[in-house]
Amino acid sequence: MADVDFVALAKCHDGPRGPVEVLRGIDLHVPDGAFVVLVGPSGCGKSTLLRCVAGLETPSGGEVRIGGVRVNDVPPAARDVAMVFQGYALYPHMTVRENMGFALRLRKDPDTDARVEEVARMLGLTGLLDRLPRQLSGGQRQRVAMGRAIVRRPRVFLFDEPLSNLDAALRTQVRAELRRLHAQLGVTTLYVTHDQVEAMTLADRIVVLQGGTVQQEGTPQEVYDAPANRFVAGFVGTPGMAFLARLEPGAVVGVRPHAVVLGRGPHRGTVRFVERLGAEALVHLEREGEALAARVDGPGLASLPEVGAEVSFGLDAVHRFDPATGARQA
Amino acid sequence: MRTPPRWNVALVHLMLVIATAVTLFPVLWILAMAVSPGSVGPGSALPVPQGVSWEHLRAVVGTRGADGAWLFGRQLANSLVVSVATAVLGTTLAATSGWALSRWTFPGRGGIAGLIVLTQAFPAVVMAVPLYLLLDALGLLDSRTGLVLVYGTTAVPFSTWNLKGWFDTLPRELDEAAMLDGAGRWTTFWRVILPISRPALAVTGLFSFLGAWNEFVLAATLLGDERAWTLPVVLQGHVGEHGANWGEFSAGAILVSVPVVALFFLLQKQLVEGLAAGSVKG
Amino acid sequence: MSAARLGRCLSIGIALLAPVRVDAADVTLWHAWRGEERAALETLAARWTAAHPDAPLRATFVPYDALAGKIEAAVPRGNGPDLFVYAHEKAGTWAARGLTLPVAPTPGALPVAAAALADGERARGWPLAAKALALYRDRARVPDAPADTDALRTAARRWTRPASGTAPAQWGLAMETTSAYAVAPWLHGFGGGVSDGARLRFRRPENVAALGFVHALAREVVAPELSGAMLVRSFDDGRAAMAISGPWMLGELRARDAGGVDWAVSPLPVVRATGRPAAPWATVETLFLAREGPDARAVGAWLAGEESAAWRARAGRQVVARQGVGYDDPALAAFSAALEHAVPMPVDAVFALHWEPLARALRRLSRGDAGPEAVLAQADTDVAVLARPPPAPVAPAPWLAGTALLAAAGLAYGARGAWRARSEMARAAHAYAWMAPALAGVGLLVVLPFLVGAAVAFFETDGTSWTFVGATHFLDILLARDWGLASPLSLWRTLAVTLLWTAANLVLHVVLGVALALLLREPWVRLRGVFRALLVLPWAIPSYLTAMVWKGLFHREMGAVNAILAAFGVPAVGWFDRFATAFAANLATNAWLGFPFMMVTTLGALQAMPRELEEAAVLDGATGAQRLRHVILPQLAPALLPAIVLGSVWTFNAFNVIYLVSGGEPDGTTDILVSQAYRWAFSRGHRYGYAAAYGMLIFGMLVLYGRGVGRLLGGGVAGGAPPAREDKA
Repeated sequence: MADVDFVALAKCHDGPRGPVEVLRGIDLHVPDGAFVVLVGPSGCGKSTLLRCVAGLETPSGGEVRIGGVRVNDVPPAARDVAMVFQGYALYPHMTVRENMGFALRLRKDPDTDARVEEVARMLGLTGLLDRLPRQLSGGQRQRVAMGRAIVRRPRVFLFDEPLSNLDAALRTQVRAELRRLHAQLGVTTLYVTHDQVEAMTLADRIVVLQGGTVQQEGTPQEVYDAPANRFVAGFVGTPGMAFLARLEPGAVVGVRPHAVVLGRGPHRGTVRFVERLGAEALVHLEREGEALAARVDGPGLASLPEVGAEVSFGLDAVHRFDPATGARQA
Repeated sequence: MRTPPRWNVALVHLMLVIATAVTLFPVLWILAMAVSPGSVGPGSALPVPQGVSWEHLRAVVGTRGADGAWLFGRQLANSLVVSVATAVLGTTLAATSGWALSRWTFPGRGGIAGLIVLTQAFPAVVMAVPLYLLLDALGLLDSRTGLVLVYGTTAVPFSTWNLKGWFDTLPRELDEAAMLDGAGRWTTFWRVILPISRPALAVTGLFSFLGAWNEFVLAATLLGDERAWTLPVVLQGHVGEHGANWGEFSAGAILVSVPVVALFFLLQKQLVEGLAAGSVKG
Repeated sequence: MSAARLGRCLSIGIALLAPVRVDAADVTLWHAWRGEERAALETLAARWTAAHPDAPLRATFVPYDALAGKIEAAVPRGNGPDLFVYAHEKAGTWAARGLTLPVAPTPGALPVAAAALADGERARGWPLAAKALALYRDRARVPDAPADTDALRTAARRWTRPASGTAPAQWGLAMETTSAYAVAPWLHGFGGGVSDGARLRFRRPENVAALGFVHALAREVVAPELSGAMLVRSFDDGRAAMAISGPWMLGELRARDAGGVDWAVSPLPVVRATGRPAAPWATVETLFLAREGPDARAVGAWLAGEESAAWRARAGRQVVARQGVGYDDPALAAFSAALEHAVPMPVDAVFALHWEPLARALRRLSRGDAGPEAVLAQADTDVAVLARPPPAPVAPAPWLAGTALLAAAGLAYGARGAWRARSEMARAAHAYAWMAPALAGVGLLVVLPFLVGAAVAFFETDGTSWTFVGATHFLDILLARDWGLASPLSLWRTLAVTLLWTAANLVLHVVLGVALALLLREPWVRLRGVFRALLVLPWAIPSYLTAMVWKGLFHREMGAVNAILAAFGVPAVGWFDRFATAFAANLATNAWLGFPFMMVTTLGALQAMPRELEEAAVLDGATGAQRLRHVILPQLAPALLPAIVLGSVWTFNAFNVIYLVSGGEPDGTTDILVSQAYRWAFSRGHRYGYAAAYGMLIFGMLVLYGRGVGRLLGGGVAGGAPPAREDKA
């Protein structure tokens, strides 16, 4: 097991119109045994960062270190990292058993069979060992892909959007399983997703990326409570934060729905529509041409305002951002 | 899948029957010539044989050499060996180059890809004599090895193109996964890529096989002794300066075509259904 | 398969790949004789070997189509046989090129054979057999051999009647009226000929009269469009009462008890107007000496000698080139008699140039384009073009310097690119290693021969003497210097035909291939596998044979196409008389040959295509045609485009079909660029340099086309858009 470090890591791709900078100087420390989620919109460079760890991309500047050793020029096979791909990349001509044992067989590991059986038990794949990937359901394939990574007992696990091909219910279930496995195995894990719910639920630490740079790094709670800038604030949390430029001079005010209290307060807005979600509801308001939402639950659900009604509201907690740079104001 | 209206089903079958009938018409002619007794050339409205006789078929199959050995058997074996060796050689050479072209960028890649297309435009008229001189210099005249080398390398450009097209459809994640699993370039290619490329290899091999199986001009020029001939040369031997022995020519042509049709029948699944991308994409 | 079995298979395979050894002490002989002639020759070889065990004779059969090419390739390199058998007409060219050696004249040879091979005191080879045209007749209808042309015409008229009701047409005579060889007897009989002694000249009053006679015969009594197998068949079926053909037809006719006609052979009749016999060309099957050696000379003299001749006449049923040989078959005796008046075919290279212009004149006459005098005058013009003196040599020095300069510049440019990209190249070393075997093979056995062949385009050569002529061939071709731009020989006109040919074929291939694939993909189609397998048959059967069958199907009188049209009341179409119909015949053949490739490609592409898209289109209310146009075709396009590009290149160079079906008819108008190049190399006086220049121009056009297509598809054809920086390397 090992920690992973990025030092001023940069990566350029050759695009049709000259080079494109995908990563611009990433500095990051991933502690040994941590579960770190890289999150950001598509094109933010998170997959490239992951692939630099795997050795599938060669950095154009800076360093990747695994266990304190620079690995920029180490071929992927020698890095002792395992990766679960978005499309799983199961070898279609091999059975589940062969898929999971492939890496060990290449190393001529005498324990191949025992370890495959063990991991199969851990993942509930024992009955499927002799099937081909095309005879499996999506969820089963996903588990085989994870099993293939686990069997190797690598120093680092890399996950590249592993849940994006699963349906919502399965995703929740696998998320829990991933946490359990991580607790059990304690291997350093880098996990890439564009889904911030996945990020919040899985991560020890979250790294928010945008435009090839790290926007913020911290525990999920830190990122949620104190977003470093407007981008992070808008990206983290569901439903998202609303930004009001006309509320206070000199700042953009960010407010999450649960911080909006309807019925009393200094501000007034018009109800545009109401979303009922069962245990709670979102009331979408418009104030001076800017939109925000208020979360209502408990007794308030019985007396939701009508669409078009003018209501007053107050704000419990707000975030302030610099209108020009988007950076958090104290 | 919904079943379409009955008239539609009937229409599709009718069209297929008509297309097959038109396709078969010249083939029936060949059959008629092959079983008609005597030497009967093409030239009447319908392919009705003038009686049925196996004399031509027997004459072709039963050919014996001056030493009394079964010549046709030997020539059939020649054809098989040469064609299979061609398919193996052409596909092997093309597989590694197709993979390199599909997966790696390197200076000159565009030029090589262009060259591959260009070779298809080389006019044979220009190449025949220099090729002879070259094989003579290499001491490969009068040998089936020389023939295999020429056929094999001639098949390489098309095969490379074909295989590169197939490799392009394979998700990169597969070879990346293999690399992370500790497989080098060669292991990845040998143990992961080639096994899942069987349909494409089969199709490519079939093309090379067919090219060698039907080629006549080079074979006749390069192979001297009758014992070394491939079947197309044997076939051509039934055509003389003035007309041909149509019966034996046709019987021979049928014999030559049977293995090809059989191969196609066997490889049908690979040819058309083996390309199901789902099994690869997972 | 077990390892042992695999090993055994491999060793058998390797054994089969090894060369077949021939003992160096053997006297080797190549020939293209088939059937009884071949058997007789092999028996003779065995007899010789039995008598001379120290110098065994090995007779090796070579297909006729390959024999001349093989000799010309092998003999100069020392790989040829000691002896070979070929028609004597090549003797002059081959002797001039040093392929054959002079021999002692054969005592007792037929006078015509001796004359054909005479070369001063020596002979160009040993005469074995001789062939000339004679008259076959059905004894039931024409009991006596017609003595003169009038008798021939009268008898032929009597047995000519048009088709009526179910009865097929009857013809008095079957002959190839558009063959220069078949018309030669009449030219000679009328006192004319193809040469006036000094040079080729057609337009002479005697020849005009001869053509007038032939044309009259053709209009009145000769079955139209007859050649080769058709001619045999028309006589064998009894549809023609008489036929003019050579001894090669003897073996093709059915015996009387097998339903054949009761036939007899006699020499051609006397021409009434001149009193001279119609004198056919005599072709002498000659044994040539290709390698000096006492054994070979002894074998040659023996094979041309009395014992051999008697055996060949009896067992080989051959008309031997020897006096005093008795024949037990009266037909053979008649052919032997026909040789008395035959004219030995000249052996010089210039003579060989007359065939094509004269044949063209005969075809124009037969189509009624012009009268005998006009077509002969045109033939004189044509022959002047073919026989024109070779281009003047050009000083090679500036060219050498230019080439060297270009090569140096190219090398420098390449080296500069490589130097700039050296770090990338070093990083991609593995890629080069993976490409290396294929590149080495293709470079050595495909690219190198091509470059050598390309160099020939700058020379004037017949294979032996080489004259450097610079770009003369290219300029001659590009400017159509020797004929008008509109002539069928002009590059530009041929190019237009070729483009039309390629485009029309591709449309048909794609339409047929895609349509059938769409029909075949429906899972509810019964016998899908059977249909699929039957529909690829055109791809499986050697195209050489199927193309010839197609030509037969388009025959005017006996072809199935016209027979089917007749059932619908359409009058008989002379398919090869007009450009449009001849082109259509070629097109039908090539469409038939080519659609399976597109069909299989499309089937593969359709398998990979999800049907949901189409189902979505159905829900969107798209009709079948709209689904095809907006959903299926756009998705098929990426898979089909490479196949279409390849197919277009193949079709552009589809030599077989043109050569075998229309043969360029009428008048070379349906020739495409490759078939023109082929004619220049092989049937218009072996102008290899000119043909190579033609080939290079074809190649250049395809390169331009490829670039155009490449640009159109954004470089996708040649293997994916290469990153921009690679272009510099």
